[in-house]
Amino acid sequence: MSWTEIRPELLTGLWETLAMVGWAALIAVVAGTPLGVLLVLTDRGRPLQNVLVNRVIGLVVNIGRSLPFIILLLALTAFTRSLVGTSIGLKGAIVPLAISAIPFFARLVETAVREVDAGLAEAVQSMGGSTWTVVRKALLPQALPSLVAGLTTTVIALVGYSAMAGAVGGGGLGDVAIRYGYQRYEGDVMLVTVVLLVVLVNVVQLIGDFFVRSLSDRSTRGAAYLRVSRPARAGVTAVAGVALVGSLTVGTANLTSDGGDGGADTVTVAATPAPHGEILTFVKDNLAADAGIDLRVREFTDYVKPNEAVANGEVDANFFQHTPFLDDYNDKNGTDIVPTVGVLVEPLGLYSDEADDVSGIGGGDTVAVPNDTTNEGRALHLLDAEGLIELKDGTGLNATLGDIADDRGLDIQELEAAQTPRALQDVDAAVINGNYAIDSGLDPKSDAIALEQAEGNPYVNILAVQADDADDPQIRKLGELLNSPETKAFMEKEFPSSVPVFGPVG
Amino acid sequence: MITVTDLKKVYRSRGRETAALDGVDLRVREGEVFGVVGRSGAGKSTLIRCINLLERPDSGTVTVAGQDLTALTGRELRAARTRIGMIFQHFNLLSARTVQDNVELPLEILGLSGQERARKALELLDLVGLADRAKAYPAQLSGGQKQRVGIARALAGDPQVLLSDEATSALDPETTRSVLELLRELNRELGLTVLLITHEMDVVKAVCDSAALMRSGRITESGTLDELLATPGSEIAAQLFPVGGEAYGAESTIVDITFHGDARGRPVISHLSRTYNLDVSILGAAMDTVGGRQVGRMRIELPGPYEENVVPLGFLREQGLQIDLVGVDAADLPALESAK
Repeated sequence: MSWTEIRPELLTGLWETLAMVGWAALIAVVAGTPLGVLLVLTDRGRPLQNVLVNRVIGLVVNIGRSLPFIILLLALTAFTRSLVGTSIGLKGAIVPLAISAIPFFARLVETAVREVDAGLAEAVQSMGGSTWTVVRKALLPQALPSLVAGLTTTVIALVGYSAMAGAVGGGGLGDVAIRYGYQRYEGDVMLVTVVLLVVLVNVVQLIGDFFVRSLSDRSTRGAAYLRVSRPARAGVTAVAGVALVGSLTVGTANLTSDGGDGGADTVTVAATPAPHGEILTFVKDNLAADAGIDLRVREFTDYVKPNEAVANGEVDANFFQHTPFLDDYNDKNGTDIVPTVGVLVEPLGLYSDEADDVSGIGGGDTVAVPNDTTNEGRALHLLDAEGLIELKDGTGLNATLGDIADDRGLDIQELEAAQTPRALQDVDAAVINGNYAIDSGLDPKSDAIALEQAEGNPYVNILAVQADDADDPQIRKLGELLNSPETKAFMEKEFPSSVPVFGPVG
Repeated sequence: MITVTDLKKVYRSRGRETAALDGVDLRVREGEVFGVVGRSGAGKSTLIRCINLLERPDSGTVTVAGQDLTALTGRELRAARTRIGMIFQHFNLLSARTVQDNVELPLEILGLSGQERARKALELLDLVGLADRAKAYPAQLSGGQKQRVGIARALAGDPQVLLSDEATSALDPETTRSVLELLRELNRELGLTVLLITHEMDVVKAVCDSAALMRSGRITESGTLDELLATPGSEIAAQLFPVGGEAYGAESTIVDITFHGDARGRPVISHLSRTYNLDVSILGAAMDTVGGRQVGRMRIELPGPYEENVVPLGFLREQGLQIDLVGVDAADLPALESAK
C-alpha cells in the first residue's frame, strides 16, 4: 500500500483516536473524581464515614474494572444507544471507553486523595470549613500532582483500549493497525501505525510528567519550584491545550458527520474490510452515483456489530456474512434480518506447510479450525468430505467437536478465524477462511490442499437487510450493482480466491 | 472561657474498648495560658480535639465563651470553630499554597473579599514576624517559621481561644523558646486564652499560668502553677522543679523546702540550725522562674528519724515555707499536720 493511500487513513485514525481518548478522558475526570473522593470520604474514620455506601461504590468500581474492555464495548450497546443515539462509530466507542475509564480513574483519585495528610483536613475543619471545603481547598489541590499523574496513566490506558474501537466501527489508529496490519497483512502500515501510537503515548507521558513535576516542585524543599521556567510551563500548557481542544473539536466535527442514516438516497452498508468493504468501495466509486445511490461504507472488525447495527437501524444493510451465520444470529437474537442477493463464496481451504496433499495428513497430526459456530461447522464438514474425520450421521451445518464420530487420530485445535493463518507454523494443517488466506499471502487455488466446492455451497456471502427493507428500491438497486458484470470483473481481478455466486437468495 | 464537664470518649476497635477520656473536668479562665501535660496515650490529643469537636465526645459538655459546643451541629458548629484557632504539631500547612495563601485560607472560609484577605493576612504575618516571606512556599521555611505561619493562620478569624496541639514538639529547644515567647506575647497583647497540650514540662514552665496533669483519660491534678507548687505531693510541682540529692546518714529525715513570695529573702536555714542546734545538710538546691515568678527549692537532710524532727519542721512551716517529706507516703502527712 502506498504512502499517499495510507496517509489520509492514518491522519483520520489519529484524529479519531484523539477524539475518542480526549472525550473519554474528560468524562472519566468529571465522573471519576467525585467517585474517588467519595471512596475516601466514606471510609472508616473519614468525615462522611458510611460503610454501606463505601462498599457499594467500591463494588461498582471493581466490577467496572474487572470487565474486559472488548466485552464492555459489546455489552453496553443498549446503554450507549440510549445515551447518545447510536452504538456505533466514534460516539458508540466513546461511551464504553468513558465507562471503562471512570472506575480506572476513580481508583487512582482514591489513592491520590488518601495520600493527602489527614492533618490538613483536620486543619481546614478546625477553621470552620465544611467537608466540601476540605475537598475543594485541601484534598484536591494537595493531591493535584498525583491526580495529573493518574490522568496521564488513564489517557495512555485509553489509547490502548481505543484500538478495539474498530469492533464498533469507531476507527482510530489502533483500528487502522488491526484492519490493515493484522487483517490485510500490510506490515508496513502496521509498523507506521504502531510507531505513531508509540510516539503518541510518549508525548502524553512527557506532557503528564512535565505537569506533575512543575506542580510538585513547589511542595518540595527549597526554591525548586523555580526550576521549571515560566515560558517552558506556558509553552507546554499551550501545546497540551491545543491538543485537547483540537482533538475535541475536530473529533466532534467527525462525530457529527458520521451519522448512520444520511439523506433519503443514502444507503449505509456495514462490512468487514476485505473483500466485502473493498467490493462495496468499488461499487461506490464506480457504479453507485450513476444508479442514483449515495452509498456509504462502514467497516467493522467484528462479526456481531454489523448485524446489530442493521437490526437497530443504524445502518441500512450489511455485507460480510453467509446465510447460515445470519440464521444463527437471527435465532439467538430474535431479529428478522434477511438475505437479498448472493455475491460470492469464499471457499474454506485446508492448508499445510508440512503436507503437499490430503494424504499427508493423518493420525497424530494437529489441525487448527476456526472457533466460531458456523466456520467451525464448515471446517469440520470440509475435513469430513476429505475423509480426514468422520462426522456422526445427520450432523447439521453447525457441527462441533462433539459431533465427530471418528477423529482418525487427529488433534483438532479451535482458534479465532483470523488467527488460523498464523497458526500454520505451529500446527500440521489449518482450515482457513478464503479472505484470511488471501490476506496472509496464501493463494487458495494453488496453495490449498483441499478446498470447499463453490457449486451448491450454502456459505455464499450475501447482502442482508431488515425484512421490511427487502423490497426497498435502493436496496434492490444496490443488489443489482453487486451482481453486475463490472463487479464480477473487479472481484476476479482483485480477489481471485473468491468465487462470484450471484443471484437472489432467501 | 473554656469549661469541660465530665467528658467521656471511648474508642472501639476489634471488640476492644479503650477509654481515651474517662470523665474529664477542666476550667480554663479567660486570658490565661493553660497547659495539659501527660505522657503520650494519656488522652491529651483526644481532649483537645473534643474542645472544638473535631472529635465528638460520647458524653459530657464543652463550653467555650459561654456557648455549649456539644449542642451544636453543622453550620452552627462550623461558625463556632471559626472563633477558635488551632495550631498543630506538624503545622498542617498546605504545601501547594504560599505562606500568604495559607493564612488567607480561613478568611476564604469566612467569605472575605480578596482585598480584605490580603490585607489581613499581611497584617498577621507581620505580627508573627514573617511579613517578608509572604510569597514563599512552606517547603522553603524552617520549622519555627512554619509554626509561626500556623499561628498567623490560627489567628485569622480573630479567635478568643487558641488551641495548641503539641505545637512545639517537632521543634528544637531554641525555636521552641521563640515560638512559646510569641504565644506568651499574643496572650498578653490580644488577651488570647490559650489551651495547650504538651508532654514537655519545660513548655508549662515557660508559658503556662495554670496546668493540669492527665493520666489514663483522667485529670489527676489541676490548678494555677502557684497553687500546684503549694500543694504538697504535687507531681506537676515535683516535675516542674525537681531537686536531686541522696541522703548521707542512715537515720535521717529528708525534706524538700519550696520558697516563694517573701520567704525567698530570709535566712531560714541558719535560723533553724541555731534555734534547734541541728546539723543541717543541704543535698540540693535551685532557683528558677516558673510562670514568670522566681521560685526556690532546696532539699535538706536532718539527723534522726521523722519523729525527732517534728518540732523543727513545724518551725519551717510557720515561716510560710512549703515542706514536702521525701520518701514518706502521702498517708503519713496528716501526722505532720497534727504535730504542728
